[in-house]
Amino acid sequence: MMAAVAAEWLKLRSLRSNLGLLALSALPVLLCAGIAYMVVRGFDRQTGDDLLRFESLGTGLGTGLPVAYFLMAAAGTLSITSEHATGMIGTSLVAVPRRQVFLFAKIPALAAVTLVIGQLLVFCMHVATMAVVGERAGHVLIDGRTLGLSLADPGVTAELLVAGAAMPLAAMTGLGLGAAIRSAAGTLVTLIVLMFVLPIVAQALPSPMGPRIASYMFENLPAQIASGDGVLAPPVAGALLLAHPVAALTAGAVAIAARGRGVRPLLAGGLPAALLAGTAVVAPGAAASSALSWRPCGESLECASVQVPVDWSKQDGRTVTIQVARLPATGAHRVMGTVLAVPGGPGGDGVEDLRDKGGAFATLRQRFHVVSLAPRNTTDLGVIPFDCLATGPWITLPADRAAYDRVGARNRKYAEECRAADPEYFDHLDSASVARDIDAIRAALGEPRLSLVATSYGGVVATTYARLFPDRVRALYIDGSIDHQADQETRLRHRTAAVEQQFARFVEWCKTATACALNGRDAGAAWRGLVAAADRSPVPVRGSDTAYSGFDFKVAAAPDVISPGPAPDFPNWQRFARSIDRATAGDASGFADLVEQVTKSLKVPSFRGQNVTQCADGLMFADYGEFRRLKALGERLSPNFAGNELWHRLGCVGWPTPVGNPPAPMPADRLPPILGAGTWTDHGDVATAAARVPGSATIRYEGPGHALYLSGNQCVIAHANRYLTYLRLPPAGAACEPLQP
Amino acid sequence: MIAVTDLTMRYGDALAVDDLTFEVRPGLVTGFLGPNGAGKSTTMRVILGLETPDAGTALVGGRPYVSFRRPMREVGALLDAGAVHGGRTAAMHLRCLARSNDIGRERVGEVLEQVGLAEVAGRRIAGFSLGMRQRLGIAAALLGDPGVLMFDEPVNGLDPEGIRWIRELMRRLAGEGRTVLVSSHLMSEMALTADHLVVIGRGRLVADTAMAELAARFEGDVLVRAAGQEAFAHVLRASGASVREEPGGLSVTGLDASRIGELALRHGVALRELTPRGASLEEAFMELTEDSLEFAAEGSTR
Repeated sequence: MMAAVAAEWLKLRSLRSNLGLLALSALPVLLCAGIAYMVVRGFDRQTGDDLLRFESLGTGLGTGLPVAYFLMAAAGTLSITSEHATGMIGTSLVAVPRRQVFLFAKIPALAAVTLVIGQLLVFCMHVATMAVVGERAGHVLIDGRTLGLSLADPGVTAELLVAGAAMPLAAMTGLGLGAAIRSAAGTLVTLIVLMFVLPIVAQALPSPMGPRIASYMFENLPAQIASGDGVLAPPVAGALLLAHPVAALTAGAVAIAARGRGVRPLLAGGLPAALLAGTAVVAPGAAASSALSWRPCGESLECASVQVPVDWSKQDGRTVTIQVARLPATGAHRVMGTVLAVPGGPGGDGVEDLRDKGGAFATLRQRFHVVSLAPRNTTDLGVIPFDCLATGPWITLPADRAAYDRVGARNRKYAEECRAADPEYFDHLDSASVARDIDAIRAALGEPRLSLVATSYGGVVATTYARLFPDRVRALYIDGSIDHQADQETRLRHRTAAVEQQFARFVEWCKTATACALNGRDAGAAWRGLVAAADRSPVPVRGSDTAYSGFDFKVAAAPDVISPGPAPDFPNWQRFARSIDRATAGDASGFADLVEQVTKSLKVPSFRGQNVTQCADGLMFADYGEFRRLKALGERLSPNFAGNELWHRLGCVGWPTPVGNPPAPMPADRLPPILGAGTWTDHGDVATAAARVPGSATIRYEGPGHALYLSGNQCVIAHANRYLTYLRLPPAGAACEPLQP
Repeated sequence: MIAVTDLTMRYGDALAVDDLTFEVRPGLVTGFLGPNGAGKSTTMRVILGLETPDAGTALVGGRPYVSFRRPMREVGALLDAGAVHGGRTAAMHLRCLARSNDIGRERVGEVLEQVGLAEVAGRRIAGFSLGMRQRLGIAAALLGDPGVLMFDEPVNGLDPEGIRWIRELMRRLAGEGRTVLVSSHLMSEMALTADHLVVIGRGRLVADTAMAELAARFEGDVLVRAAGQEAFAHVLRASGASVREEPGGLSVTGLDASRIGELALRHGVALRELTPRGASLEEAFMELTEDSLEFAAEGSTR
């Protein structure tokens, strides 16, 4: 055997035609560079979100790889078909009469040469692509990948090595097919079909069938082995990759031994291929086995439910049914797990979020199931009457302890109205209970770990979950969330700075925008004048016996100040300016009408549906002293909105239920780094929340608004998808810019 | 020593070799003779393990060819001078073969010298004439210095000088005690080289005989034309000859021309013609393989 192997090495290197094949190896490198050039040219012509929708070049092997594999397979093919074509086969078999020995003796030389050349080729292809792509390589795309990958990126070296290591396998496949088919033309056509035609056909098929079929193609297997980021699990991809040469060589070995051709080699080759592919496809039962019975409940939405105890400390006690919804993975890639979207509010319904804003998850669903829930504190769940939860007392800003106590008494009276409907349930609407419900869902899904996407107040639930079940957290993305653990003063400083900055932007805008009703006047002075006047003498709402204090104006105005609406018209700021104008003239109904539209109440009520959770989560003043101190601090820091930031906490004064979920530290050493995202007004809070786990990162959105992922902000979604999929965080100071109108 | 026993080989419906049995002994040049399509090449391919027979065995030194670890050291064969890759040089072609059988590189130079290709050793085979390829094939056969040699139609494409060279080579190889099997479809060629003949036709053994025996078997007759031919025929028969009438004469065997002349003189017969006719080996061959020629003719009109 050794002699035969040595002879085949001599044969291989003594043919000038093989040098020609070697020279052709430049082709895939040029192809890679050419494709990269085209992509880069297109990329440079795009702006904004269009830049995010480019297909990643990955390691840059792309189009060149199948060509390289084809060349290697052709080398393998020619090493046997040239013997048939010239008749050399007779001479060779007289020298080495054992036919399988003769065939297999070709393997070592062929493998060694194609491995070395292939590996070199792969690295050249990568370097060529990345040289063309240059700096653009780091640009994050919507699916969380970057436009290109450098050797410094994790897994790239491995992927290149595997892609190179597959070169000899391509050569073996060519050798085996060549031995089975015997004619060079026939074999090369077969290889062209295998390496080029089928993948193109597969790609033309609709998703997910197209990507699934494409994932079985030779050229797509190495990347799936190395990255684990394909449709197929790495062991499956590995088995399929090996199946190619094994099947081809078996067919070849049978054909070279058999006197005739015909079906025998085909059968012999097909058998191991089918066997390997079969076991590979059947074997991995790694997919999570969900105990939930999903039923369709909307466009691509599936619903199910889980039973959880009302009181988690009495698990065999009374239960409540939690509705769960799922946007199933699209199947274009292997499912990596479940992303659980934690809704905000508190009181928001995650099932509705998926129904209305599920499109934001379109790309993430290539690799994840996206699940959400209607948490136990969802306002319209019905256990506690909706009408009770959806309203609440009007909050006044207490001037002294007596007034503070009056607020407390009123709050308590309102709370007890709702509590009376179901005291046990009412007392267990804290975020820790919701977090435990989420873990029950996780268990029912059969997922070992969850990737959490928490929006707004969902961040409190998610960080509570991280505190209670740190080992169940694969990734934690918080978007526009408050920091549950922040002390009151820090939070006040953040919120005040944010709203004051935002107000300053409004004032600036008003100076130049003719659409601003206060254009030509000092909008800031107008607002401060209105507030001061209203504090002295409340401004009546026309057609009612209600009047607005300065505090009422601030609470009613804050949402419009923070969210000006779409640029360049900023309709909410226009509305705000008009309302100031009207209120200055003695009618507060500009503000009251808006509030009434949203809340069915002329002033913003302190929603009991939110307070059931916020108060139970301990987001309240320790005592009157703390309130007074923070009030004074606000008056110092906030010329335009002093007191506004106290509104939420004032709703919890006198609240009757125990604090079930007081702020407490997360076990940071057992948690992955967090990714946060926040707008102008949210980023400060998000940043301190994320910083609770060392190594975390945030994306600052240089614009107004709230809840970036669900509102479909492509730049933020790209960064978040990168984190959720590859656990890669953006660099410090990462920011997303609003699109230029 | 080659032993072919009860060998049968079919290609589909066609019977290429039909229950063939013969032996090739060392120290002799054995001619393997038969018309085109008689099964000579097929038999040789079976001996070399290139074809698997439907029945029977073909052994070299008592073993199947495929059982040799280094077969080129046991058997050297020239089957098809064209069975080479034109892209290699003569020397590299031989080196590849030598390497596969653990034959030292120096043998390559030696055999190239021996077949007269030393000067073109570094040239690519693609540019070789058929004669040069024949010599290269012979060089490959000699590479392992084997005890058994097989040549399939070795003189094809050779010039007269080459043909003489190959005859001498085969005689010398046999003289060295090697077993030499040479196939040909030309009796005249065999007549000059072979010590022994294995003749096949239509895949069947026709004759397995020493060359001298064959010559004796096809001893000639004498053509006699005389006045009173019928009477003279009686005389000849009475003297122990066998006589057959031919148009215009008698074919006489069993008596030579001088004895017939004496009998004619004694009986006063006037001879018009007395011609000894030696049967050529070629005629003998034609006679032997009559069946297979019919087969070939049939085949060609199909």
